[in-house]
Amino acid sequence: MEAVRDLSFQIGKGELVGFLGPNGAGKTTTLKLLSGLLYPTAGSLSILGHVPFKRETEFLKKFSMVMGQRTQLWWDLPARETFRLNQKIYEIPDPVFRKRESELIELLELEPLVNLPVKKLSLGERMKAELACALLHEPEVLLLDEPTLGLDLVMQKKLRHFIAEYNRRTQSTILLTSHNMNDVQELCKRVMIIDEGQLIYDGDFDRIIQHFAPDKVVAISSSQPIPMETLKDLGQILSHNGASAKMEVPRQSVSRVLEQLFKRIPLLDLTVEELPIEEIVRRVFLRTRSQSQSQKNLFAPGEWEIQEQEKKGMRERPLPEP
Amino acid sequence: MISLIRKYGSVLRISLQQSIYYRASFLMDRARTITIVFAFYAFWSTLFQGRSQLAGYSISQMFTYVLGMNILRSLIFSDKTWEILREINTGRISYYLIRPISYIGYCSARDLADKIIHLFSAFLEVWIAVSLFNIPLYLPKSPVTLLAFLLSAVLAMILYFLMSYAVSALAFWTAESGGPRFCFELFLEFAAGAFFPLDVLPASLKSIFEFLPFASLLYFPLNIFLERASPAALLSGFLNQILWIAILSFVTRSLWKRGLKAYCSEGG
Repeated sequence: MEAVRDLSFQIGKGELVGFLGPNGAGKTTTLKLLSGLLYPTAGSLSILGHVPFKRETEFLKKFSMVMGQRTQLWWDLPARETFRLNQKIYEIPDPVFRKRESELIELLELEPLVNLPVKKLSLGERMKAELACALLHEPEVLLLDEPTLGLDLVMQKKLRHFIAEYNRRTQSTILLTSHNMNDVQELCKRVMIIDEGQLIYDGDFDRIIQHFAPDKVVAISSSQPIPMETLKDLGQILSHNGASAKMEVPRQSVSRVLEQLFKRIPLLDLTVEELPIEEIVRRVFLRTRSQSQSQKNLFAPGEWEIQEQEKKGMRERPLPEP
Repeated sequence: MISLIRKYGSVLRISLQQSIYYRASFLMDRARTITIVFAFYAFWSTLFQGRSQLAGYSISQMFTYVLGMNILRSLIFSDKTWEILREINTGRISYYLIRPISYIGYCSARDLADKIIHLFSAFLEVWIAVSLFNIPLYLPKSPVTLLAFLLSAVLAMILYFLMSYAVSALAFWTAESGGPRFCFELFLEFAAGAFFPLDVLPASLKSIFEFLPFASLLYFPLNIFLERASPAALLSGFLNQILWIAILSFVTRSLWKRGLKAYCSEGG
């Protein structure tokens, strides 16, 4: 079975790229290929001039991956012990290690936590320790697989802030997958979208929102039942349930719609949200298929090259006009 | 070289810490082995009543076999290869594959930690048992015996590691590798001579068991220690160990190579 095919991209040094796609799109497969956990059946890829699945020490020392659902920390021992293990595994000299360790502990507010058995930590606390552990050797290339999965909003924000800072400070190259639109929105200038194993968008994040998610979702609830007729002219109604409703409103008319809502309905609550990422991806995908073949090359040149092409013919893939 | 020692020494250290964390399960494990030793002690004392020899063993040789078996088991059968199954089935092994460390080296260091702790406590137990019941022991007369015994024990350790490492590779293809593993251990204990010296068996069965790799794990080293192995038996015993190490190295290597290829880090 092919999990990914016809997938080719390059990422430049210091870039922070978001990697989006619905479940089963091939995100994790791509990360596994990049980390050398999977052997590609066809095509080629290189990171920092190395072929990942050869697992050369020089490559592994410059690389790190954090998998949101897994841990490399020793469950029963304090995180500090795994840090020390990684120091030896990555052969980090003592003074360098001490400096980095205390920096990471401070930045991630890990102070009392690193001395507790990992299993006593909350999910968010563990994730912070996980990140610290993966960054002790200051990797040049970092893959983050769902780093904010299952975390509360405060913790999500802290982690995002830290990742952005880290990227700025060390000029490391980061590829991040997420279901969480906010992660990508706040962190990544560039985004790649993959579906059914194929890259269907590669470009600026701002453009994807403008082009593929022209609408926002407005959700309201009222102190009394909302008649359907009141909403009909404001946008496309997604759901309507007595005193609450959800509708899709064009981005540029959100403020006008809000004004109308306040006038017409005694509101209890109101939220304006982006469309769910799956929905945007679905639209991107639909659009790709209906679009005529565009030959536009969206790839940015960079030191870090990743190329994967099917053996038979390096077919140009239709990409959406950004 | 020094960085290698540091690397795997660090694995050893963290594994020891982990073992100390699981004191209760360690103590239960020891309680189990002590029970086995006492049961065999009682069993053979009864059989030896009014006799000076049994199955070619003197009473001191038989007791040394039983107690020595306790120590050798701790050295050779102590391992954390059950962890390998778990690491493969949960996908945690990925984290070792993406770090600059060899997984087999990591497993060996982790096993060593287990062996150190178990060996230490096995010595303590045997010492207590010997002084408590005044058990007669057979000690080798020649230092060469001791040397040969140590060599065979080291080879046995390598052989056992290769075997269990090979069985662990089954986890790459099935999530139910615990079953085969359990059967393997049960047969292993029996065939290695952990329950009784293989001399108790009929001659035809004995020669089959002697050729299988299991006998060279416990039975062969213990027979060296008891100075019961003739020079010819010594030679064929060592050759047997080396032969099986060569075969299993090859089998284990190719199984792991294939296994890792088939591995798609389960769990997403």
